[in-house]
Amino acid sequence: MTSTQRRVSRRAQHKLGGTGAKVTARNTLIAYAFMLPFLILLVVYHTWPVIFGTYLAFTKYNIISPPQWVGLANFRELFADEQFWSGLTNSLKYILVVPVIQVIAILVALLVNRPLKGIGFFRTAYYVPVVTSFAVVGLIWNWMYQQGGPVTAVLGFLGLPQNGSFLNNPATALYAVMFVTLWKGIGYYMVLYLAGLQGISPELEEAATIDGATRTQVFWNITLPGLRPTILVCSLMSTISAIKVFEEIYVMTQGGPAGSTYSALFYTYSRAFVDFQYGLAAAAGIIIAVISILFGLINFKLTRGGKVDA
Amino acid sequence: MTSPLPAATAPMSAEEHARLAAQLKSRRVARQRVQNVLAYAVLIVIALIMLYPFYWTLITSFEPTGNIYEAKILPKGVSLRNYAEVFSGTTVPFWRLILNSLVICVLGVTITTTLATLAAYPLAKMRFPGRDLIFYSILILMVLPNEAGLIVNYITTIKLGLLQQTNPVIDAIRQYMAVVLPGAASIIGLFLLRQAYLGVPQELIEAARIDGARELTIWRRIMLPLALPTIVAFAILEFVAYWNSFLWARIMLPDKNMLPLSAGLLELSSTFSTNSRAVMAGAVITIIPILIVFLMGQKYFMKGLEGAVKG
Repeated sequence: MTSTQRRVSRRAQHKLGGTGAKVTARNTLIAYAFMLPFLILLVVYHTWPVIFGTYLAFTKYNIISPPQWVGLANFRELFADEQFWSGLTNSLKYILVVPVIQVIAILVALLVNRPLKGIGFFRTAYYVPVVTSFAVVGLIWNWMYQQGGPVTAVLGFLGLPQNGSFLNNPATALYAVMFVTLWKGIGYYMVLYLAGLQGISPELEEAATIDGATRTQVFWNITLPGLRPTILVCSLMSTISAIKVFEEIYVMTQGGPAGSTYSALFYTYSRAFVDFQYGLAAAAGIIIAVISILFGLINFKLTRGGKVDA
Repeated sequence: MTSPLPAATAPMSAEEHARLAAQLKSRRVARQRVQNVLAYAVLIVIALIMLYPFYWTLITSFEPTGNIYEAKILPKGVSLRNYAEVFSGTTVPFWRLILNSLVICVLGVTITTTLATLAAYPLAKMRFPGRDLIFYSILILMVLPNEAGLIVNYITTIKLGLLQQTNPVIDAIRQYMAVVLPGAASIIGLFLLRQAYLGVPQELIEAARIDGARELTIWRRIMLPLALPTIVAFAILEFVAYWNSFLWARIMLPDKNMLPLSAGLLELSSTFSTNSRAVMAGAVITIIPILIVFLMGQKYFMKGLEGAVKG
């Protein structure tokens, strides 16, 4: 179709009541019809939980009788509850995973970014734990950690102390679970960093090399600043999921031994689905949410908003 | 790289020049080779750390007897006994779990991709009042943490009557929907698809509109085919997510016959506390479909993830 023809027929369309590109009542209706099913589910399962959850935090509620407004009582109860504090402490300890996983993921991404033969195999291999359910991964590591199992064997081989079963020891259980989170997550962040690395212009690195920069200099002055937006996204995601750690704990230790792996979200879960204290659970959820937002902001500050320019 | 040329007082002959170049080149090749060997060594060590736990579970699941938790490289004896046990040795209805997982995945992937491919179209290619408002509200929802989600969604599911019991067939459908619906409006999916649609030339759509095509036709005949790689990537991501979901299903479904495989596996491990090898066999069966789907769609899958960051 030539442009003249198009202009003519567009004018013709205009007379007929406008094309789809125009804002008309009919087009607006069509647009909303496209989005309607999505929006309904979005409101029911994403918006409503935020609104109703916030309301529930100020009530006593057990599903059977209607919610009863209690003001700040739930929050007072939480702050007086030692179990809640220990859950919160463990969740905050879990943030230890974040720097470790990010550094390893960046190093692994640099490694698999090289044009080596068969590199695709390694990228795929590192991603296998990511696509496997925590239900499976948790069980596998439960077995791996058993006394006399593969983990003990490796530690013995390396000449390290073999501490019995790590998951049964309150001093080590949390770190043993952290290792699984790390192991499962590396591949995920590796792919994201790989994408970030591919966004850095190779000309820039080449130019620096020609100007006599060493490999380390290129890494610190070009590669790492270029990765800053990715680092922001990744550390944000991993901090928030560390604070909300739950599934690996649910499968591997159920919060034990002696509450040593009891996390904040595990507290929320047991208040809601074991004790049916939905109001208290919702209040705990709000505190976790606020902490997540705070850490998100800290992250944002630390990475300077993910801007590429230093 | 430092200058390869020595500060020569006299100009080098062509021969000398060539010899120097060859020398430098072979030194570079040698260094490259050492670096490659080192890189492969590290790559292999990491691959072992990532894959050995799976391999170990696989070989142990085939062993009929012996020290179960022992570290090993080859199985001590091979038998299918543990696999038979999974299907017949407990009260956990394993065939039914497989069926449940398949139904949940098919329903979940179909509904989720359909809703996202539909909803992303106006947001990318139509003009209407409220478009930016809707877009930014969805953006905020993605950032807002949703801790109370589990609790409120549980309450909602009960209030919607999805767990009511009337007749077996309808109950089953309702319970599958109870598992699928909370994840069916995928914000990430909406973003991925909007991004893919934005790449479709506006002229193509205008031309179709001028020819009198209806929006639904444009969506089906132009947008869907052109966004197909992203749609496939998203469908695979969703398949993995639905196949692996266990927590929500365990909370929602009081009837053990309705559980998906991942959730049922935990059930298996608690009823099978004396026979971990059979649970391992169950774990292997649970992983295999996800590995097949992942390996088939690997290229799309990685792209889809990359798009999620850049988007």
